[in-house]
Amino acid sequence: MTLRIEVDAEKCMGGGNCEFWAPKTFEMGDDNISHVIDPDGDPEEKIVLAAQGCPTQAIAVWRGEERIA
Amino acid sequence: MTTVLDAAGQFSDWDPLAQYPIDPPGARDPYPRLAECRRSKPIATRNARDEHGNIVDAFEVYRYDDVAAVMRDNTTFSSESIRADMAPVMGEHVLVGMDEPDHKRLRSLVQFPFRPKSIAHWEDELVRPVVDGMIDRFVDRGHAELVQEFTYTYPVQVIAVILGLPHEDHLQFHQWANAITNFAANPKTGFIAARELRAYFADVVEDRRKHPRDDIVTEIAVAEIDGERISDEETFSFLQLLLPAGAETTYRATGNFLFGLLSNPDQLDAIRADRSLMTQAVEESIRWGPPLLITSRIATKDTEIAGTPVPAGSQVIANVGSANRDETRWERADEFDIFRESVPMISFGVGVHMCLGMHLARMEMRTAVNRLLDRCPSLRFDAEAIERDDVHIHGETFRSPTAIPVLFNPSGSPPQAPAPTALGRQSHTERLASVT
Repeated sequence: MTLRIEVDAEKCMGGGNCEFWAPKTFEMGDDNISHVIDPDGDPEEKIVLAAQGCPTQAIAVWRGEERIA
Repeated sequence: MTTVLDAAGQFSDWDPLAQYPIDPPGARDPYPRLAECRRSKPIATRNARDEHGNIVDAFEVYRYDDVAAVMRDNTTFSSESIRADMAPVMGEHVLVGMDEPDHKRLRSLVQFPFRPKSIAHWEDELVRPVVDGMIDRFVDRGHAELVQEFTYTYPVQVIAVILGLPHEDHLQFHQWANAITNFAANPKTGFIAARELRAYFADVVEDRRKHPRDDIVTEIAVAEIDGERISDEETFSFLQLLLPAGAETTYRATGNFLFGLLSNPDQLDAIRADRSLMTQAVEESIRWGPPLLITSRIATKDTEIAGTPVPAGSQVIANVGSANRDETRWERADEFDIFRESVPMISFGVGVHMCLGMHLARMEMRTAVNRLLDRCPSLRFDAEAIERDDVHIHGETFRSPTAIPVLFNPSGSPPQAPAPTALGRQSHTERLASVT
């Protein structure tokens, strides 16, 4: 099931740790904010790690109705 | 360290213990004490120095959740304490000592070249040639002391190359880096070096504004967001900050990584055979052996941590070394285990100040160890030198190996039989495990 991934642009500080953990899912834009380029880009556990590893807790991940990170 | 680096990359009067200028003697293994603190008193008072050098009470936190909470809440916990410490050398606009909104503005201007995708091409073009150049000096010898000959100097060299400094300036840059890194031990030399380096950077920045190049100084010097440009003072402070924040931490972290692998030959063999393990191994090594164990903040208002009242104005020390060994987050937390399941660690910090150079640091460590394994077959500890020189990982503020004496098959020579017997290797490994 495709995950629903949201990046809070206000909280994001452009550190790029999400791109480190899940480089096919997240990409730092020229606006210095992370963007989801493909919610299926990486295995689920890597996407969860990216959310958990976000320094400003700007990433939320849902599987269906359940928030998993 | 008062050592001087010569043109051949050798130090005169190298003293391994001078790598830990601000720790008391006996700062050999803080981890048992930290484990006890996590269990019995998750927040404790300890002596610290304020910006005037006076001894004050500070609160120290040890558990992962408390350390993360302090670092995440940058409104309640200000980085002013770091600014006060570093401003004499780095200037008033030192990024790690700034609070919002100034910090966010400056960080946005300088972090662009440090994104994962921005640094990717540096691996082959810049870092690998630097690392190979250093390995060239000892690869035919069959033995080396990797702190003096490799880890201590390669990150400074990487920064010099990334900044696009001309080759003839590299030795001078090393001397400045050395003096600034050792500011605590020798403030006068540090001050002089900082002043000289600032003047040098002023010329470099001016040159890049006139003659833009494809390098990081140009990118920062001309950076603009919403029509706002970085000031000259901010530029110099940031470039200077690359030395303690970028070079010193990376040298210590690379040393800890090598020490972890060499102390665990099974894991070393595994990674030698399968380099795809490198990324997780770097993460584990930074968790298990962070180069810097503590950071500090100042409480901006009366607050509470782990049920203990913390009055406004208190210094709060976040012990990331302790947080990384929190038993509630990692099983067998004291063990170096590159195969453990990845859970984010906190050595790079967390919150808005999370390490700007983390992607570069990870790439440098990966490249450095990959090239050592590629070019030094059967790389292993020199057990005799370990014993003779009482080699161990040292320090409770900055932490890294006193030395990394290694043996390997010299380049071009036929493979040697492995020197240590199974029994000898076992006891050697156990001895190392007991001191790390």
